[in-house]
Amino acid sequence: MPRITLTILLLALATPAHAMHISEGILPLPWAAFWFVVAAPFVALGVRQLNRLAREDLAMKPLVGLLSAVVFIISCMPIPVPTAGTCSHPCGTGIAAILAGPLVSVLISSVALLIQALFLAHGGLSTLGADIVSMGVVGSFVGYGLFRGLRGLGASLGIAAFAAGLLTDWATYLTTSLELASGIRGSAEFLPLFAKIMIAFIPTQLPLGLLEGAMTAGMITLLARKRPDLLVKMKLLKQSEVSGNA
Amino acid sequence: MKTIKPQNNRQHQLSSCDPRVKLVAALALLVMVISSAGIAFPLLVTAFGLGVCIWLQVPAKQLLMRFAEPLFLVMVVLLLKALFSGGEPLASIDLHWLQLSVSRTGLLEGCRIAARICGAVTLVAALGFATPFTELLAALAWLRLPRGFIEVTVFAWRYLFVLADDAQVIHAAQKNRLGYVGVRRSFRSLGTLAGALVIKAFDSSQTMTVAMTQRGYDGTLPLMKHRPFRPSELLTSLLIVTAMGIFWRL
Repeated sequence: MPRITLTILLLALATPAHAMHISEGILPLPWAAFWFVVAAPFVALGVRQLNRLAREDLAMKPLVGLLSAVVFIISCMPIPVPTAGTCSHPCGTGIAAILAGPLVSVLISSVALLIQALFLAHGGLSTLGADIVSMGVVGSFVGYGLFRGLRGLGASLGIAAFAAGLLTDWATYLTTSLELASGIRGSAEFLPLFAKIMIAFIPTQLPLGLLEGAMTAGMITLLARKRPDLLVKMKLLKQSEVSGNA
Repeated sequence: MKTIKPQNNRQHQLSSCDPRVKLVAALALLVMVISSAGIAFPLLVTAFGLGVCIWLQVPAKQLLMRFAEPLFLVMVVLLLKALFSGGEPLASIDLHWLQLSVSRTGLLEGCRIAARICGAVTLVAALGFATPFTELLAALAWLRLPRGFIEVTVFAWRYLFVLADDAQVIHAAQKNRLGYVGVRRSFRSLGTLAGALVIKAFDSSQTMTVAMTQRGYDGTLPLMKHRPFRPSELLTSLLIVTAMGIFWRL
């Protein structure tokens, strides 16, 4: 009984999902520095990949910049979550990872996170490393890997995109819980605090993951219907598949 | 979105200060705040940051909007740490069906984290209000952030407001046509909105590249050139950081 009431209490304390970005100042210096060290090579690889792509196509840098703006806008869309009585927002990383690949998607997320940290107090400069790891690195690789894996198994674009969007969101929130628990635990035990933070995220993140999945699937199916040439350009469809459909 | 644009374009007393000086001073203070073991220093930085924001005449509504989320988080962290840390109980609340104990160590730890959040958030907010974004990017480039990262951020910033306006127009059109009635329709409408934004982004990037190539774009953007440092700015910021450093050491 006490466990159930404790769970109910934590659910009542559910954080809004913009807390998916770890707030400025919440992590002490050693943890903040650690997550920066983890994130740095992925951002560097993303920049290298982009430079390579930009040598082949001059439009790549403007395109990645505009995709960063799209991710920023998507992650600013307030969406009411009735189960928690709060507003949340999707993270948009799944869309970026599917379209641009995981490494460039890390770069896209980093740019969106930097602008959010400086101008909206979503996330922060000191926690940028941790936020890049959870939303950029884990989100992008999970989303991209799942999308490619399911497509390889013969799933349709819509289903693969839905699963990628859903699990990108949930993987991001799991990593954020881990980062938060390790950062603020002090002398307390890690696992119980990690479990409590995860429970606190559930009321917003469970429905939000479904929404993110539906949005990613809707976006991909719209592109496949209206502008398949863009999916061919981003190597999501083969030219033969588009011609076959036409 | 509305909160970003007006403040960032305003002219104020700190507009003419070198962005590199502002950025390095803010980063030094930020490191002190997050490495601070006490409560007093982060609260001092909070007061300093708020003072800067008030001096820059940032509207109160804008400040409140900026701090709403971090303040909510402060409350959650305080409750989590105070109620679930264990250790010596300071007070107990008996709700018949549940007994809650506020632990002394947990409350102290919670206050420490809460003070850190307040200090860091006000500091970064003050930096954001005091410096136009393009100047901040030039300062980040001076700090040797990868050029590709800076260039992508410049493109994102340039088209952010255009795409946000487009998103608002599409959203309003969908809403007027009952696009958000029912869960299934809402999901479909959101997917369409995201897809339409991606199509806009693709098309705009192509148009932009053609226009820029005609003006000599070769794949790298020219970034803002910095003027030489002014000794008075360097001295003032050094004094502020040193004074804060002394408080931090105490």
